[in-house]
Amino acid sequence: MENAAAAGNAVPAGDAVSAPGAAQEFGSGPAWRFLIQPRWLAWHLLMVVSFWGMLWLGDWQLHRALSGNGLSWAYTFEWPLFAGFAVVFWARTIRDEFRIKRGGVTASPDAEPADLPARIVGVRAVQVSTAEPADDEDEELTAYNAYLARLNAEVKRHGRWHGLG
Amino acid sequence: MKTVEQAVLRYRLMAYVTGTVLIVLCFVGIPLQVAGHPVVANDVGVVHGILYIIYLIFAWRLSRMLRLANKPTVIMLLAGTIPIMTFIVERWITRRFIRPALYGDAPSAQAVRS
Repeated sequence: MENAAAAGNAVPAGDAVSAPGAAQEFGSGPAWRFLIQPRWLAWHLLMVVSFWGMLWLGDWQLHRALSGNGLSWAYTFEWPLFAGFAVVFWARTIRDEFRIKRGGVTASPDAEPADLPARIVGVRAVQVSTAEPADDEDEELTAYNAYLARLNAEVKRHGRWHGLG
Repeated sequence: MKTVEQAVLRYRLMAYVTGTVLIVLCFVGIPLQVAGHPVVANDVGVVHGILYIIYLIFAWRLSRMLRLANKPTVIMLLAGTIPIMTFIVERWITRRFIRPALYGDAPSAQAVRS
């Protein structure tokens, strides 16, 4: 809350969103600001609706199963599983967004992005240590790095489709 | 780049398997069910339910690796529930995201080609 005030950002009722560690600030405001953009609010709404919708469908299947439809038992467990997937996927998407936002503060196009999944970081580390050029792996790695760099550039321009949409 | 390639292969495998089973379900199972033989639809339906869970996991992991935005990610995940869509979406994801990531094909060149 103090941080937001210090940065001169009057964000009513937004304080609850800035969990500890989430209020990383850069450029135009705190990193979590993107969460209250209209586009993201629409995604939040979609997620809430689909979460409760899937739980409701699971409940419906449970009632069908209890009234003798044996096949419904499978769906009784499947719908809550999908609802759980939605929550996990959503949480991880937002986590990744924060990482991209933080990485975006200092990263130049050819800098090592700090927000890659660990496995890819591992691959990149291998590339750094083995300076052998021109085999298949390296070509693919170059292509992948170029792809990530293009994503970065695209995100900086509009962020619509690739990175932050 | 083995990790990305593996993620692509797993996604593709599940896209084709799930898509095929879904086509069987919708174009064989459902007509038979309407005709009074629900066995195929019931069994294939359960199989598709299980396959779709695996499809979701692999598609999600690839989506994270390619850093897809929300919209293409959701399209990719839901494609496994709509007949034929898995095949269409797999081609689109390949052209738009997988090939640029693995082989460096520029998206603009892809757009011209398609």
